[in-house]
Amino acid sequence: MSRTLRVLAAETGAQILINLRQMEFIIPTLVMPAGFYTLFAVVLPGSSDNAAYLLASFGIFAVLGPAVFGFGVSVANERERGWLQLKRVVPAPAGSYVGAKLMATLLVAAIALAEIYAIAGFFAGVELDQPVWFALLAVHLVSAIPFVFIGLIIGFFMPSNGAVALSNIVFLGLSALGGLWIPIIVFPPLMQTFASYLPSYHLAEIALAVSGAPGERDITGNLANIAIMSAVLGLGAVIAWANQRS
Amino acid sequence: MPNTSVIETRALTKTYGAKTALDGIDLSIAPGGVIAVLGRNGAGKTTLIHTLLGLVRPKSGQARVFARRPGHSLNRQRTGVMLQDADLPDGLTVREHAALYAEYFDDALDFKTLAGLCELEGFQDRLYRVLSGGQKRRTQFAMAVIGQPDLLFLDEPTTGLDPEARRALWRVIRTLSERGTTIVLTTHYLEEADRLADRIIVLDDGRIAADAPAEDIRDTVGGAVIRCATALDEASLSALPDVEWARLSGRVAELLTRNTTATLRALLEQDPALSDLTVSRPSLEDIFLGLTERAEPVENGDAA
Ligand SMILES: Nc1ncnc2c1ncn2[C@@H]1O[C@H](COP(=O)(O)OP(=O)(O)OP(=O)(O)O)[C@@H](O)[C@H]1O
Ligand SMILES: [Mg+2]
Repeated sequence: MSRTLRVLAAETGAQILINLRQMEFIIPTLVMPAGFYTLFAVVLPGSSDNAAYLLASFGIFAVLGPAVFGFGVSVANERERGWLQLKRVVPAPAGSYVGAKLMATLLVAAIALAEIYAIAGFFAGVELDQPVWFALLAVHLVSAIPFVFIGLIIGFFMPSNGAVALSNIVFLGLSALGGLWIPIIVFPPLMQTFASYLPSYHLAEIALAVSGAPGERDITGNLANIAIMSAVLGLGAVIAWANQRS
Repeated sequence: MPNTSVIETRALTKTYGAKTALDGIDLSIAPGGVIAVLGRNGAGKTTLIHTLLGLVRPKSGQARVFARRPGHSLNRQRTGVMLQDADLPDGLTVREHAALYAEYFDDALDFKTLAGLCELEGFQDRLYRVLSGGQKRRTQFAMAVIGQPDLLFLDEPTTGLDPEARRALWRVIRTLSERGTTIVLTTHYLEEADRLADRIIVLDDGRIAADAPAEDIRDTVGGAVIRCATALDEASLSALPDVEWARLSGRVAELLTRNTTATLRALLEQDPALSDLTVSRPSLEDIFLGLTERAEPVENGDAA
């Protein structure tokens, strides 16, 4: 293995250990999505009709947590405590810090997704063709991109206690208002309009389309929206990064 | 200018807004030896180290480390760093931190050697979060030396250590120095500089106030310390000829003079009744106070 890969692997391993030793991280990432999905798709009466619909949107929810907390809270904390400065004086390959965080985030997200998929398949009676499962997995994992940018912006701009508060607000806000728990059709019109400004809403719509959920959708519009939002958030993340370095 | 220098700076300047943190630093540090950087709070010690690490970009002037720009990846491979206020992540054990650091360096010490060298035994498998302040500091020191660096920056390495741990760290620093590592350390413990340093650099308000081999540093000020019990006040003591600084606690006066005879003569003239007169060679602390001006009594021990 090349030096770069070895450092990346070691850094990723360390990052996962750090994450998994924190209750504040485990609860919103590995417990809440599976718990909420069980509640909404299995336990509540009449929910089995919704199980497939909810699988699409709860997959987004499962990726949102690791991205926002794994980047927002931890980058802010590590920056404030000087760990980022130490990273810049060791001979680690460029990008291994962010790269390792990304790997760790995707791995935790994959576990959270596996939990939900298992509950959907085994307990909620969701039946999808194999290619659809994989397409859904791809959409869910790729949805980490805009959320990671949001996490980076929080992590680089906010002091660490502010980052914890803001990450929670963003996490719950994007979930509830973006229709990840309850479809936005049941929302009042104003809130429906608001949802269309949130990346979580557009990602859920894309996931729903891929999973073959009924209903009329404007997938091209969703894709365009999410592309623009990701680009803007990505730019914001780069600015935040450059800002903390100087 | 010798191109074998490890560190070379010319007219190095750094400002933070209106504050000049470094003000024209000229330095040349040859390989080997322990260089102690002294100076009061805010003198620019940390800023200097950060500049040499490439963490801080100078406003003007030049800095070269291993003849490359500071922060170059080849420099980082040969440099160990313990920053003044940088912490390691809470969620890893000492051993796990070492395992990660070992991946960064070409020629890292194995953990057993490292733990022995830095005296990590007893807490090596505990999470960083639960370590005591001194144990954390020792862990940070271990991370600085794990890569067997040629150049080691230690920014206040012994702050927060108990006397025994401090002495242990001094031993390690001497061992590394004997192996040829160039060590730049900052400290507020003058005894530490006295015990360890081959060369002492005193920074004052971003400028180099003194830079000399440790055994010569006293000559940069020279003179002597006069102690006596007197009725004079601090202002008239400071106004005596050739006095660098003077301080008074109760009736006991202490002053550093460049010219013992001249000062003593004037002193005896102004206060014929003075008593308990002693004249001694200045300690490093006396010199330090002289070099960094604005000497305020550090500890105002009541003359009871
Ligand atoms: N990031 C910063 N922003 C603004 N001012 C700064 C910054 N870093 C340092 N300074 C200022 O630069 C000056 C030198 O600071 P520096 O940290 O280098 O001092 P020091 O000699 O290391 O002090 P200490 O002994 O307290 O560690 C101080 O006046 C400090 O307030
Ligand atoms: Mg300092």
